[in-house]
Amino acid sequence: MKKIIGGKEAARDLRNSVIAVVLAILFLFPVYWMMQISFKSDAETFGKVLSYYPREFTVYPWLVNLQDKTFLLSLRNSFINGFLTMGITLLLGVPAAYGMGRYRVKGSSVFLLTFLVCQMLPASLTLTPMYLIFNKIHFLGTHFTAPVAIAGASIPFAIITLRPYFKSVPVALDEAARLDGCGPLKAFFYVMIPAVKTGIVTIVVISFLNGWNDLVYSMTFNVGETMRPLTANIYKFQNAYGTKWNCIMAYGTILVLPVILLFIFLQKYIVGGLVAGAVKD
Amino acid sequence: MAAGKKREAYIFVLPAFIYILFVLGYPLIYNVYLSLRNVDVKNLTKGGDVFIGLQNYIDLFKNPTFLLVLKNTFVFTIACLLFQFTIGFALALFFYQKFRLSGPIRGVLLVSYMIPMSVTGLLGKNIFSNAGLVNNLLSKIGIIGPEWLVNTSTALIAVIIMNCWVGIPFNMLLLISGLTSITPDVYESASIDGANWLQRFWYITVPLMKSSMLSVLMLGFIYTFRAFDLMYIMTAGGPLNSTDVLGTYSYMLSFTQYKFSQGSAVAMVLFGCLFIVGLFYLRLLSKED
Repeated sequence: MKKIIGGKEAARDLRNSVIAVVLAILFLFPVYWMMQISFKSDAETFGKVLSYYPREFTVYPWLVNLQDKTFLLSLRNSFINGFLTMGITLLLGVPAAYGMGRYRVKGSSVFLLTFLVCQMLPASLTLTPMYLIFNKIHFLGTHFTAPVAIAGASIPFAIITLRPYFKSVPVALDEAARLDGCGPLKAFFYVMIPAVKTGIVTIVVISFLNGWNDLVYSMTFNVGETMRPLTANIYKFQNAYGTKWNCIMAYGTILVLPVILLFIFLQKYIVGGLVAGAVKD
Repeated sequence: MAAGKKREAYIFVLPAFIYILFVLGYPLIYNVYLSLRNVDVKNLTKGGDVFIGLQNYIDLFKNPTFLLVLKNTFVFTIACLLFQFTIGFALALFFYQKFRLSGPIRGVLLVSYMIPMSVTGLLGKNIFSNAGLVNNLLSKIGIIGPEWLVNTSTALIAVIIMNCWVGIPFNMLLLISGLTSITPDVYESASIDGANWLQRFWYITVPLMKSSMLSVLMLGFIYTFRAFDLMYIMTAGGPLNSTDVLGTYSYMLSFTQYKFSQGSAVAMVLFGCLFIVGLFYLRLLSKED
């Protein structure tokens, strides 16, 4: 009985899988498009015929970027943006998620609502006032400036995503730790954090990407080209390269590469986090 | 609960709360204040800006460029919602089925959502250029494509298409999680009753998905209405403001013309629109509890 159904199921399984692969190839064709241009020679880039793959494969557009001093500084700044945003988010977001997931106190719904609303606020709204405030306190043009602003959105995200994880840890677990003489801080670090590892990985990846992908804060708060991350220097390099799309696309590919790598290795954490952050609990 | 325990809870939550007050709360209030004054580059350092009431707002609504920008923002948002929701829903129904590659491929599609929006803009600029991919494909079926990013009538369409490319997998993902919450027994009893797939979809899936669909649409509105990066890189709001939206317009006023107060006023209009939709969204969420 099972085998007969199995045969029919297998055919359906195969058909759907084939459709899915075709859909994915079509849908992600633009990403392939960008990458293949980045391996074309100048002659081919300016050629009359548009080819769908590099006829003479070359890494020269990559080298043009990787040998540029400003590019390398921008690359470094992108990593700084990512790691600092991640650091601030973990430092403040994880304890707050713990406090809101484990304790029932007055005003917790107010906190939750505040964080939920904050997560939705667009950068455009706080950009001008933040610029004027940072200008007044001489906080413009540092490596910390943009991450401090970006974390304003990723901390609420971390709290909303992590809170349910902390909530689902059995109470017996911290009680046992307390009985063993752990203080609240010790219980937090040695018992709770390991228990919500999956959620923490999600926050690590997504807050890094928030910092890495940021454009608007980084370009507004950092005027100097050598202080800007890759996203904020796109215009500079576009002007420098003119219509040399192979060099521009190599720039774009390098900017996308860490995102794709993180995605390949940590997909389940990212996907889970996106759903959790968007729909409450 | 003991008072000591309560204090513990606040110790964990307060640092984040205070941080948010400083980096979001204070700027938000400061923005309202700015929008009621006349701060620009001339009086920024010297001082001397004054309270001018609603003058910035009155000026905006008398300004045809602002009205065009407001219209663009709504056209952009509604068109994006329409396409990314319908296509996202279709994909959700497909990938909700259990088959071997459904999980991995559904994840892979999210790559377009994860890559920086500025790169999406760069890519859009390339594939919609005159001799780019889109016109090349169109020429293969005998259509001479327009100069997408040069014409005021087509630039916004190109931007909408690029944004949908990003929004579709996100909508799909959220809708799949909505579909998962429908218990399979409902479908089983319906198929025993002889309902075909269209009837099942219309009479079972849609009503049961109502609140999940609404929340995806509202969330989509909130995230699409604020668009900035895509236009900034792909078209810089041009040609002739035809792809300018509230986000880019506010930025341009504040940081290329240094009319900070006017930029703040535009941001307040953006906030007002989001606030209304946000209220509905929060009400929907609290109803679900």
